[in-house]
Amino acid sequence: MLTSTRPRIIIFTTSSCPWCNRVKQYLREKKFRFRDVNVEKDPEGARELKRRNIMGVPVALINNHPIVGFDKAKIDKLLGIK
Amino acid sequence: MTQYEVIIIGGGAAGLTAGLYASRGGFKSLLVERGATGGQIMNAALVENYPGFPEGISGAELGSLMRQQADRYGLEVVTADVTGLAPGDLYNVSTTEGDFETSAVIIATGSEYRKLGVTGEERLSGHGVSYCATCDGFFFRDREVAVVGGGDTAITDALELTRYAKKVYVIHRRDQLRAGKVLQQRAFDHPRLEFIWSTVVEEVLGEKMVSGLKLHNVKTGRDSILKVDGAFVAVGLTPNSQIFSSILELDDAGYVITDETMATSVDGIFAAGDVRKNSARQVATAVGDGVTAAMSAFEYLQGTR
Repeated sequence: MLTSTRPRIIIFTTSSCPWCNRVKQYLREKKFRFRDVNVEKDPEGARELKRRNIMGVPVALINNHPIVGFDKAKIDKLLGIK
Repeated sequence: MTQYEVIIIGGGAAGLTAGLYASRGGFKSLLVERGATGGQIMNAALVENYPGFPEGISGAELGSLMRQQADRYGLEVVTADVTGLAPGDLYNVSTTEGDFETSAVIIATGSEYRKLGVTGEERLSGHGVSYCATCDGFFFRDREVAVVGGGDTAITDALELTRYAKKVYVIHRRDQLRAGKVLQQRAFDHPRLEFIWSTVVEEVLGEKMVSGLKLHNVKTGRDSILKVDGAFVAVGLTPNSQIFSSILELDDAGYVITDETMATSVDGIFAAGDVRKNSARQVATAVGDGVTAAMSAFEYLQGTR
């Protein structure tokens, strides 16, 4: 059986969201892979945020823990980036 | 330890321009950026006042073009937080990716959004409180929202939000706007924009989501509650200069004091862009500052200053 410690990362975005691009660019620079869900085009993604009472992007869902906004300190902590 | 001739701290318009000049000028240079390059302009849906783009250009595109141009001349970029800057024979720049030594430093750390600093703001951030209208407008389709502020950013945000919201209030502490006349007229002509003058926000209300704002009229002294589903904060910027406060001269608001050559109070340290006192805080002036700071750094390195 394959086991992996690689974190499960989903980035929720909208179509015109510079901060979303900055989060994604940051994760790419730090060599993390993630799924990109544009909630304007993905109703299931939009419902997921609504269920969590979230009304803003970017949201970095890291191992089911949501971080709203490009909060680098929190992202670094959850991903173990020193 | 890697040694550089110029280290630029901050990768917005000012930093990328200084980096372009430094690398193109053949100086061994490094740019340290904590997040992603591009700076504040990355958040502007459309930049209409940067010369050379008569139809305007999206801030994200402009930022990305500036980066490409610096990359072309071999500017080194590292993604890291700068944690300290220590003087010596060479300057020591400590970062989360290690320490670097350099002969000259250009500080282009810019500024970031100022918060209202009222109860409920932090707790409801992402739950109706937002600092980015282009990012979050989508969530407020057919809802009522408020924009707090009266400058270009606030009015641009308010106009952007009318694309989604059925009603947009602009709450401003003065009785007139600071925004440019063209933007003002566009806003005054808009049927779904309403202005609430001479008023400050005292509290953001709501349990899990924003349900309203507690307002205080500074002229009449009356308090009221405005029912809205969202609050977009656009009340200006605050400089990213805290880590330099012990070595550089700053003004009361925290901006780095420079002369017209972008020299700070310490030899070999220059500052450019929004972090600098008296910056006009425009993309074009940030670019100009970046050039001047780079040129001054070259003179310093060549001993001609």
